[in-house]
Formats: sequence, structure tokens, C-alpha cells
Amino acid sequence: MKKVKMYTLSTCLWCKRTKSFFEEKKIPFECVDYDKADEVEQERIMAEMRKNGGGGSFPYVCIGEDVVQGYEPDEFERLLDCKNK
Amino acid sequence: MNLTTLAARKKALRFLFEPVVDKLGYKFTPVEEDADFLLEAEVSFEEKYGMPYCPCQARTRDRAENMKIVCPCIPFHREHFDAMKRCWCGLFIHKDVSDPSTLKQIPPSKFRKP
Repeated sequence: MKKVKMYTLSTCLWCKRTKSFFEEKKIPFECVDYDKADEVEQERIMAEMRKNGGGGSFPYVCIGEDVVQGYEPDEFERLLDCKNK
Repeated sequence: MNLTTLAARKKALRFLFEPVVDKLGYKFTPVEEDADFLLEAEVSFEEKYGMPYCPCQARTRDRAENMKIVCPCIPFHREHFDAMKRCWCGLFIHKDVSDPSTLKQIPPSKFRKP
């Protein structure tokens, strides 16, 4: 199974829905709440997001080598299905 | 913050935002549960940082950039939000949209200015 990693904000509605999406499908994921991280970690996260063309908009989801920014359940499904085939 | 103060502050933000976004062609999402969740987050930011920042965009150490995510942040992201017919967090949607569930977030990296 592809590794799923996400950066989220604890205050973000769409981050909450993104986490629920993966939890309901029982897909394990790593998650870091940007707003709960220390400054060094925040800068590292922001640098990673910017390197991949994203700004500071959350959620930011890495599925394998692919990145999805925003709550896009169809895209999550597509990337997960590709992996599971 | 007690519940009475929280409710009053959420009501105040609605009162402040509504005429501003109206002039920009937007309105509050009709999904009350979502609006309530987002406004509650903004009230907590206002109490903690003095500004009702967007709950779905990150604050950094760059104050000028942070000012671009103070709600309602539509003027700073006008073309991007107009393309989505919603703001990033979804608190506001275009006036001509009745069902916000049809709207998708377009990542800033995928949005190309017309």
C-alpha cells in the first residue's frame, strides 16, 4: 500500500474531513498538525510544501509520490486505487 | 471564552463580514454546521492573535503574508477564489451558487490566472 502522509491544521474543516476519509477507509496515515508543530518543524513543512508548488493552503496530502492539496476525495480514491491494482 | 461570549463574537463576525463579501459577489455558505465550525476557529484566532485568520491557511513569520489570510481574504486571492466560486475554507461561496457541495478546492499550484 502506498504510504500516506499529510500536513493539516487543527482548525481546518477540510483537514478534518480528509482525516475522516482515510480513517473510514481504514487506510493508515501519518499526520502532522502544522499549527501544533514547533517553529523549526513549521519551517520545514512550509519549505516542503513550497518545493512541491504549494503555498500555505491545507490539507496537504502525499500519497506515495503524488501530492494532493485540498480535500479531493475523488483524487484520493484514484491515487489509492492505482496503487492497490 | 464562555459559550455566550463565543456566540456573540461569531454573530459579530457575521455582521462585519456579510456586507464586505456581498460587495465582492459572495455570501456565507448555507451549510450552517460548516459556517459555525469555521467561525468558531476564527473567533479563537481573534482572541489569541487579534485577527480572524483563515482556519485553513497557515500563518508564518511573514506578517505581510499573514495579512493576506485575514478573513474575509477574498480580495487577496480574487481570481483564484472566483475560479473555485468559493474561498479556500468555504466560509463564503459565490452568490450564484446554491449547493456548495458541488464546488472543489483548486490548489494554488494548479490555478492559472486567465
